[in-house]
Amino acid sequence: MNRWIPALFAALLLLAGCSGSTTRTEALPDIYPDYIGVTVPAGIAPLNFNLPEEYDRVFVRVAGSRGGELRARGRWAAFPIRKWHALTRQNAGGTLTVTVLGHKDGRWTQWQDFPIYVSDAPLTDYGVTYRKIAPGYTTYSHIGIYQRDIHSFVEEPIIESTLTPGQCMNCHTANATDPEQFLFHLRGRHGATMIQQGGAREWVTTKTDSTIGNVAYCYWHPGGRWFAGSINPVRQSFWTGDQRTIEVFDLASDLVVMDVRDHSLVVDPRFTTPDYLESSPAFTPDGRTLYFCRAKAFPVPQEVEKIRYDLVRTSFDPETGALGDIETVFPASREGHSISFPRPSYDGRWLMYSQADFGVFPISHEEADLWLMDLSTGETRPLTEINSPVSESFHNWSSDSRWFLFSSRREDGLYVQVYIASIDEQGRCTKPFVLPQKNPRKYYHNTLYSFNAPDFTKTRVRFDTRGVYRDVFSDERIQSTVKP
Amino acid sequence: MTALLGVAVFVFWMWLYPQALHYHEQNQLFLFTWDYLAERLAVPGGLADWLSEFLVQFFYVRPAGALILALLAILLQRAVWTAAGEHRSLYAPSFIPSLLLLVHMGDVETLVSFPVALLVAVSLCPLFCRAGWHRLWLIPLGWWLVGPVIAVPALWAAVAGLKWQDFAMLAWLAVSVYALHRLLADQYPLQDIVSGLNYYRRSGVTPVLQAVIPAATLLATGLCCLRIRTRHPRILEAALCAALALGTWGGVSASCDKDTLETIAYDWLIRNERYADVLKRAEKYQPRNPVSACSVNFSLFMEGQLRQRLADFYQCGTEGLVLPSIRDNLSDITSAELLWMMGMPNITLQYCFDLQEAIPNCRKSGRFTARIAECNLVNGWYARAERYLDILSHSLFYRRWALDRKALIRDESRVAADPVYAYIRSVRFRNDFITDYAALDKMMAILYNQNKDNFMAAEYYQAWQLLKQRRAGHE
Repeated sequence: MNRWIPALFAALLLLAGCSGSTTRTEALPDIYPDYIGVTVPAGIAPLNFNLPEEYDRVFVRVAGSRGGELRARGRWAAFPIRKWHALTRQNAGGTLTVTVLGHKDGRWTQWQDFPIYVSDAPLTDYGVTYRKIAPGYTTYSHIGIYQRDIHSFVEEPIIESTLTPGQCMNCHTANATDPEQFLFHLRGRHGATMIQQGGAREWVTTKTDSTIGNVAYCYWHPGGRWFAGSINPVRQSFWTGDQRTIEVFDLASDLVVMDVRDHSLVVDPRFTTPDYLESSPAFTPDGRTLYFCRAKAFPVPQEVEKIRYDLVRTSFDPETGALGDIETVFPASREGHSISFPRPSYDGRWLMYSQADFGVFPISHEEADLWLMDLSTGETRPLTEINSPVSESFHNWSSDSRWFLFSSRREDGLYVQVYIASIDEQGRCTKPFVLPQKNPRKYYHNTLYSFNAPDFTKTRVRFDTRGVYRDVFSDERIQSTVKP
Repeated sequence: MTALLGVAVFVFWMWLYPQALHYHEQNQLFLFTWDYLAERLAVPGGLADWLSEFLVQFFYVRPAGALILALLAILLQRAVWTAAGEHRSLYAPSFIPSLLLLVHMGDVETLVSFPVALLVAVSLCPLFCRAGWHRLWLIPLGWWLVGPVIAVPALWAAVAGLKWQDFAMLAWLAVSVYALHRLLADQYPLQDIVSGLNYYRRSGVTPVLQAVIPAATLLATGLCCLRIRTRHPRILEAALCAALALGTWGGVSASCDKDTLETIAYDWLIRNERYADVLKRAEKYQPRNPVSACSVNFSLFMEGQLRQRLADFYQCGTEGLVLPSIRDNLSDITSAELLWMMGMPNITLQYCFDLQEAIPNCRKSGRFTARIAECNLVNGWYARAERYLDILSHSLFYRRWALDRKALIRDESRVAADPVYAYIRSVRFRNDFITDYAALDKMMAILYNQNKDNFMAAEYYQAWQLLKQRRAGHE
């Protein structure tokens, strides 16, 4: 009998709340974020949503195809975490049907129900990491690298610029989502590349007499002994028109591999030629192939629109760090396109990349989209099911490669948000959902930060901030060398 | 005497140093939202910071700003006098903290949160003296709310009580600071936490006076209790006050950087469209730096005297016409303004964005946010403009403007009917290309050739060529 009481109470509430005239409409509700028809993993943080601001109350019922029900009412739809988790787990592989009623000017409106699909593929990673930075131009004030538990709304800083004033931090890179081994580069007077392995930190100066700068876009070798990185002095220029604002380009760009055992760099002249720009390296899961992007160099910024990167690869010897011959995988430049951020899935099945009309920084290119290559056949296609009219760019795979996340500016063309989608064995992707928030409209509309360089993290990142402060300002650095 | 202090402080901010009020207001954006309060309260000293920003928003209106700072000075003086307790006798020392603060605030980067925090702390002195073991929670709470100046009442209670428990409380203060830092504020260096996070605009910098003033406050409170045997107590008090006034005058003169003051003054006058006043000031004294040259040249243009009087003022080449992008929160303001008027909204957007991001304590700015929103409106990037306007709509002085602008969003006819936006759309570049500061004169020429009404581009182009030739001649 007891279990009927809440249901009875809820029904009474529904009746009470919706008493008076209720208008039914065949249209779908205009909810924010757009969670209509998305596919989520069981146990994800609740997909709270808002109606347009003119609605002062909302009533929502979520019913599972495999049982269970959840209700929410208030200024926006906010679901209790535990009950949401229970409902999604109960309905893994099934559908949640969402009924929405909105109250405005003394009248209730009921829209057409919409589905949320619960995938049978779990997303077991702890959460996501990202850098928050004001999007736009050359200066930054407060930035930080954060981790967010994707099963709740808990966000915590890994490191913020308040701890290291005047130092900008670059994209952080974990080894295949495992934070036991991760690195990031700190720019500024006390700059260095921080490499943390098993809780021990090393601060390495990766610039040598034989290289043009410090290592930036990095990617770990699955064996953990190496990481590949591109060295690119980055500059920005600005457009005059009303279609685009900023162009980010590299004055030069080389590719090196670092041996973290002795901090030596593999500098191969074939990958450091001034005639070509090499960028965004990524190892395959077997560790024997290194994908990266390569473009013929042109004077910048004058001829920046001529710079188009092809997708290329080379063999890699995990014993010696030796790189093989360069082989073009996809000559995008011939078709007037440019490729960035190739990311092989950790199961070795797919390779996802960004494609724009030119350049190395798809985030500032409206036309940039995500593409998927089948590594078994070499076939490639645009991910039309997840792309939008504006920029889709930085992407990464979950540890089991059943999910991926990416950055998109689809909200307003400027502020980047993190979207998550799943992929099946045929390479079909589901409709992506934006990273859930407690009160999404308030959170996303009020923030002046972009979510930059997102990645999954298998477990919670542990980082000793007090030690980091000491390390940064001690200026004790390990100088990397060049392998003979 | 207290009233005299209030009048003196009011006069100082109202007529001698009003540009500092403008600078403080321009480098923050107080929002009436719970999130804004929560964000401030999340760091040590946050309540003082929030109260300070609440007050500083009124600096938008100059007399209100001067009045607020005068009231703060009076209240602090009275708080010191009250803290001295029943045995007080000398009145003059109670002015020391307020006067030292005036000297300290001659440095425009000193935030109002410091006097606010000090006022709260000194006001707590009587409570701390009576609180006994309640100080166990009062100390950590006070430290979290107003920052390290909570040491003032803790120390005063110890000095006044002279019991071992009172001194043990000082150890408790140290333990509290360390524990709260580890538990709740580990993204800040301990030394910043100890010296105060929000007392000075630049993090990692602790001015000497920031440490001296709390110590001087304790000393001043103690001096108030001194019993000096004299037949002429009034003369003694008057002599002390005169000495303090003289010292303050000297201190203020020493702490104010004349060139910075002048540069900020130009910006303040330009914001209020008082271009003739900029020229009047520059005729008397003009700092020899590109920022001042840029402001003066812009004022010359606005007064229709750019060609005629270019040689009358300090020049430093083409940089004195339009500055390149500089990473600070002041230099590029005039350049952003003039490029906006000339028809280069994207560079204005870049400059304003960078100016805002360069505010050293990572705050936003109502003035810059408003201009960023306008640049987005002109470009037709309405979703972005809406974000900024919604933020501004939570402020006091930008709210009406923001709501007014919001009505234009996605309404092309209304944007076209707005004289400023319509003008900028009509004179802006018709082709999309990458900007290059080195070729700014060519860009001005393009603007003028596109639209012969853009006489600003033409005049700046001519001045650019003149200054380029002059510099080449010097070289």
